[in-house]
Amino acid sequence: MTSVATKIEAAPRERIALSRTHVRWLIMLAVACGAIMVFFPFFWMAVTSLKTAPEIQRVPLQIAPDHWLNLSNYVEVFKRESFLRYLLNSTIVASVAAVSSVVVSSLAGFGFAKYRFPGRDIFFLAIVGILMVPFQSVVVPLYVWINDLGLLDTYAGIVAPDLVSVFGVFLMRQAIEMIPNDYIDAARIDGASELRIFFLVILPSVKPAIATLLIIKFLWSWNEFFWPLVVISSPQMKVVTMGLMSFSNMYFIEYNLLTAAAVISILPILIIFITLQRWVVQAVVMSGLKG
Amino acid sequence: MRQWLHIAFPRNYLDRRKRAGFLFVLPALLFFGSVYLLPLAQSIMYSFYKIAPGGAKQFVGLRLYEKVLTDSTFWTAVGNTVQLLLFSVPVTVVLALAVALGLNRVTNLKWRNLWASMYFLPFATSLVAAALIWQWIYDPVYGFLNYALSFVGIPPQKWLQSLSQVLPSLAVVSVWVRIGFDTMIFLAALQSIPAEYYEAANMDGASGFQRLRYITLPLLNAQIVMVCILELIFNFKIFDQVYATTQGGPAGASQTIIGLLYDTAFKFFRFGDASVMAVFVFVTLMVATLLQWRLFRKPVEY
Amino acid sequence: MKRGGWWSLAALAALMVAVAFPSPGFAQQKKLVLWTHWDQNPDFNKWYAEKGKEFAKKTGYEVEVVTIPYQGYEAKYLAAFMAKNSAPDIFMGMTHQWCGQYDFCDKMPADLAKTYDENLPKYMVEVGKWKGERYGIPIEHGNFQQMYINTDMFRKAGLNPDDPPKTFDVWLADMKKLTIADPKGGEPTQVGFAIRSKGAPVGITDKFLPFAHAWGARMLSPGLDKATGYANSPQMVAALTFFGDLVNKDKVASLAFGNPEDAFGQKRAAVIFRESWFFGWLKKNAPDVNFKVYALPCEKVCPGAGALFPWTDLVYKNSPNKQVAWEFMRFISNPKDDMEHHQLQGILPVWTVNLDSAYVKSRPDYQSTKDMLAQQVPPSYFHPKSNELATAFGEAVVGVLFGKGQPKPLLDEAAAKMDRILKD
Repeated sequence: MTSVATKIEAAPRERIALSRTHVRWLIMLAVACGAIMVFFPFFWMAVTSLKTAPEIQRVPLQIAPDHWLNLSNYVEVFKRESFLRYLLNSTIVASVAAVSSVVVSSLAGFGFAKYRFPGRDIFFLAIVGILMVPFQSVVVPLYVWINDLGLLDTYAGIVAPDLVSVFGVFLMRQAIEMIPNDYIDAARIDGASELRIFFLVILPSVKPAIATLLIIKFLWSWNEFFWPLVVISSPQMKVVTMGLMSFSNMYFIEYNLLTAAAVISILPILIIFITLQRWVVQAVVMSGLKG
Repeated sequence: MRQWLHIAFPRNYLDRRKRAGFLFVLPALLFFGSVYLLPLAQSIMYSFYKIAPGGAKQFVGLRLYEKVLTDSTFWTAVGNTVQLLLFSVPVTVVLALAVALGLNRVTNLKWRNLWASMYFLPFATSLVAAALIWQWIYDPVYGFLNYALSFVGIPPQKWLQSLSQVLPSLAVVSVWVRIGFDTMIFLAALQSIPAEYYEAANMDGASGFQRLRYITLPLLNAQIVMVCILELIFNFKIFDQVYATTQGGPAGASQTIIGLLYDTAFKFFRFGDASVMAVFVFVTLMVATLLQWRLFRKPVEY
Repeated sequence: MKRGGWWSLAALAALMVAVAFPSPGFAQQKKLVLWTHWDQNPDFNKWYAEKGKEFAKKTGYEVEVVTIPYQGYEAKYLAAFMAKNSAPDIFMGMTHQWCGQYDFCDKMPADLAKTYDENLPKYMVEVGKWKGERYGIPIEHGNFQQMYINTDMFRKAGLNPDDPPKTFDVWLADMKKLTIADPKGGEPTQVGFAIRSKGAPVGITDKFLPFAHAWGARMLSPGLDKATGYANSPQMVAALTFFGDLVNKDKVASLAFGNPEDAFGQKRAAVIFRESWFFGWLKKNAPDVNFKVYALPCEKVCPGAGALFPWTDLVYKNSPNKQVAWEFMRFISNPKDDMEHHQLQGILPVWTVNLDSAYVKSRPDYQSTKDMLAQQVPPSYFHPKSNELATAFGEAVVGVLFGKGQPKPLLDEAAAKMDRILKD
């Protein structure tokens, strides 16, 4: 009897130990499978960019291209549109938008999170309200306004609606709210000015959020299509999204060229992101150590 | 009014604190005021005018509001948009949360970065490019999806061509694009939950599920609310993906509010009507956001 | 420190603004700006700039061509015209929209207008005109549907590809022979006709109109002021019934085949009604399809060459350079340039004298185009609200295709809606 009892007592602990690893592996598997499924359209896009137009039309479907090194689509894309220039323009615009967003959003986030002043909630609501306005309905008046400022076809004009991100204000406010008030009060007792507190206490504590905002705002600005379309007329100022859309026209979509152009537009982002990811992780780990 | 005077001319330390707070938000306010305020006011003004052929404007008061809000096409578009929402928003938030929790558990940094980048990549494509690629995957004849399904014996589906499947198919595209973004937000938040909380819970013998329910989710409450609000706004204003692929078809089954707004403004040249729709969108989203905020925001004690 | 902190932030902001601002302009080359959204025809667009260099030698003005993505072009045009000083000098668009709905076009000088009225094919004379006045130059001929048939599939079905059906009754019988139904009752593996069922209703209206015109129906009254009695006339109902039956009863067309162009290119459909640009697409995307082009079949009357979308080159009314712009238009308005311009891109020239040139004779659609031009000119619907009207009408067509209702009630509803739009 006792031997059975001890066996039963012993088994549950082992079972818990097994199922812990089990669970961890299952989670890893699920995450990995999800990632692969999410990544699949990109693989498909890349593979298609190596096919000629007749190959794409082929039925039944053929996954691999006839010639894996068929770069004719890429050559054609660069011939038709000056994509290198577009990449440069997009990079400049997106970088300015990202940096400006971080600066203004973190300032505003701090103000909204840790201060009380008359009209605070109304101002916050007004800023969030901007997000609720359909851009299509303000585009024409906005264009006239930017034109009056003489900023058409300039980097300033392209980036103008993008300089501050509502999402950024949101995110920074949430992130800064989580900072315990004791830290701030301690700094105040030490005699620091409000701005000093911002630079020395707040900013270091929200590094992950800043990194997140930088990346997200950069990408969001990079992928803007409608406003650049309306505000840019000069061929040298075009951005990547406009170049991409020139392969989808009134009558048909040139999938072979579109996918090649899409790969070209993503490649720099991929590179930036992979490099930045390491930096993000570092920042996160370091702030975690500070506790 | 008196309060503003005190901000401008602070009497004491507290007033100076208030002024500092105001100054911190001033740049953002200035920006929105200078860039968006004028165009916004103008577009609201348009909702009270009718543009006659030739370009002349004609004041018509609330007549356009009556016209748009009693138009069945408009309400069909609203219905379609809401249906899209009801699919995209919960699925995106839940999946993003699940993925973030899963990624948080992965201890090997290299793998975690790799998977995280893969989830995030769709956000790096423009909405239009993403939609076009998905449209092709969805193609009834030579799209990959039907091809894959044929291996498990499912007959080819019409996806974007089918009256019943078009909305869920479009919703999948939205989920695909947005999931990485929300995962990043959740992951960043999860990373900043101090380990002590979990250690304390473990000492009390809490199960994984209990940890999730009583520690993780409440601490993530702020982010979850924020993500829900953002996803609601984003999906309510859905336009690029639909316009690039189905253009509201087939037979109006995928016409969304903003799609209708765009057509009304730029293809039918009825700016007044379009501005009415814009006001509708704004008011609806404002109300929905306020509701979500009041109902779901819980203060968290540290 | 406190004040210094704020100042340094302000300085940072100023620096960023300074970086983003444009560099001061140097003496700029005088030029005419031309906007087009025809990004599938890059050679056609570049030709304007090439010609512009020649033009510059005479007048000092070059021509800068700006291609705008088709998606969203209306918003861009409208914004630019509203803002006035950022608008192009010459732009490509539809006359009844930019000159009719709005007042953005400059009238063409009388002598140039006369030249075009005398040298365009009969059906194209109205293209570029609004209320009898000419504003622009049509840039595209052949923008009407013709019948493309897959000769191999015809032969396989026992039909003679050199003897195409000339009436819709014979056509329907042929379609039935060309359709291979699925024994299990699912979608057919091969259909006779590649039907357009996806996308915005305007496009679907465009594809259905030849059927409507062949049955003797018209979408609007001759004065373009009434829809009821025309859009829902018995002839229109008959035409739409025939069209809907193709999918629902005769099953010679299917909604499950995606793009009709793709279906034809993949040899899943034997016949498609498409415009003259299509064989260029076929050569590129489906070079192994053997095809022939013929005039559309007739029913009560022949469909004829019509255009729902009259694309023209127009001149902006408030352009400071509009005199020079018309000079440039005059400069390129001759048979030789017309020929060169269109041949470069492989599309049909616009001047009647060029329609019998060697280039056009060598095209697969030469004879069919001639046959279609010989037919009666169908109604045109160049009304400022044409987009909205065609959308309302298209909703009825799509409704029938997708089985959402019967032709008569759907058309009645559409006609009522169209009348409301016309009256508004």
